Amino acid sequence: MTAGASAEAAAREALRGWVRERSAAAVPDDFDDHTPLIASGLVTSLQITDLLLVVEEMRSAPLDPASLRPGVFRDIDTIYATFLADRLGS
Amino acid sequence: MSPESLAETVLRLSTVSRSSPRDPNETTHWPEPDSLDRAQWFTSPELISVYGTPLWDSLDDHARRQLSFWEAVGFYSLNIHGEKLLIEGIARRLYQPGLEDVAEYLHHFLDEENQHSIWFATFCLRYGGKIYPDRKVAFPREHAPGEEDLLFFARVAVFEELVDRYNSAMGRDDRLAPVARRINANHHDEETRHLVFGRRLVEHLWRWHAPGWSDETVAGVRAHLAGYVMATWREYYNPDVYRDAGFPDPYATARQAWDHPATAAHRAALTARSLRWLYEAGILEAPVLS
Ligand SMILES: [Fe+2]
Ligand SMILES: [Fe+2]
Repeated sequence: MTAGASAEAAAREALRGWVRERSAAAVPDDFDDHTPLIASGLVTSLQITDLLLVVEEMRSAPLDPASLRPGVFRDIDTIYATFLADRLGS
Repeated sequence: MSPESLAETVLRLSTVSRSSPRDPNETTHWPEPDSLDRAQWFTSPELISVYGTPLWDSLDDHARRQLSFWEAVGFYSLNIHGEKLLIEGIARRLYQPGLEDVAEYLHHFLDEENQHSIWFATFCLRYGGKIYPDRKVAFPREHAPGEEDLLFFARVAVFEELVDRYNSAMGRDDRLAPVARRINANHHDEETRHLVFGRRLVEHLWRWHAPGWSDETVAGVRAHLAGYVMATWREYYNPDVYRDAGFPDPYATARQAWDHPATAAHRAALTARSLRWLYEAGILEAPVLS
């Protein structure tokens, strides 16, 4: 595994861990990186500040405020692709 | 004496609003950026986010005062973002059916919030060179009849109640640089009316709409407001502030400050005092701990 690939795996796992810990609804058994977060009620708008701080810390850099659109929080895959792939990807 | 009706409250508050000064330059002296002494306090030490934590203890007087400046930029920035949402939501509700009685006061509210944001932004841009970005995103969803209005005005009231605790304390704190004290005092003076209005309107909307809601909707409203209190407090622990204050790991600082028992106790005490009226009105059931 390259350093980028293991950083990606760790980041995705950390995001899943955050959802499991903070989820506003019951996390389904088949929860994965494609499970809808917003449509399912797992994540609400009030948790976004907290989630963004977690993501920023993983990036070690602030986010571009222009990138904060509702669609980018659809699922973990999209969050990773939007905010983290450019910093951590292989 | 019978209690004042919502319409009477609106009339009384509107009269006071008309006679208060509108131009911030009438009441605030803005020093030239170069002549502002940065070694002053800009936030009361006890209200600085990391107060009471090991990090605070490790800072010398100079570093604490530097931090107090960026904390002021952070506090004013979160006010600007809160007021933007407020202005947007109030503008949308002008002359909305059912809210005709309060339309006159909503105009004053809008006018005053716009002015507040000018004060806050003037400080941030003139002395800090920036307004910190917002970390809020709203997802549209379905609401029961009246639920969206109740939630909007209750969020506004919660936000303003918490901010006002800081404003009223700092508006009277003579350790603060005059410009910072003045901004806080001005905001507190006007917010006093908004708090009266907010409580009256939220109680009115609750009595009007809640009886028609399902248990699930009522529980959802309560959960949302409790979550909103937490989310609002979260913004007081801003890594952008810590970065500008020169802390090496601003995100870890934000986490550690938030998690420390001293800051949790500060939030819980302030929340309990500010939001007691929400329990008394039956809108919240249990105290919201932060
Ligand atoms: Fe305001
Ligand atoms: Fe206000």
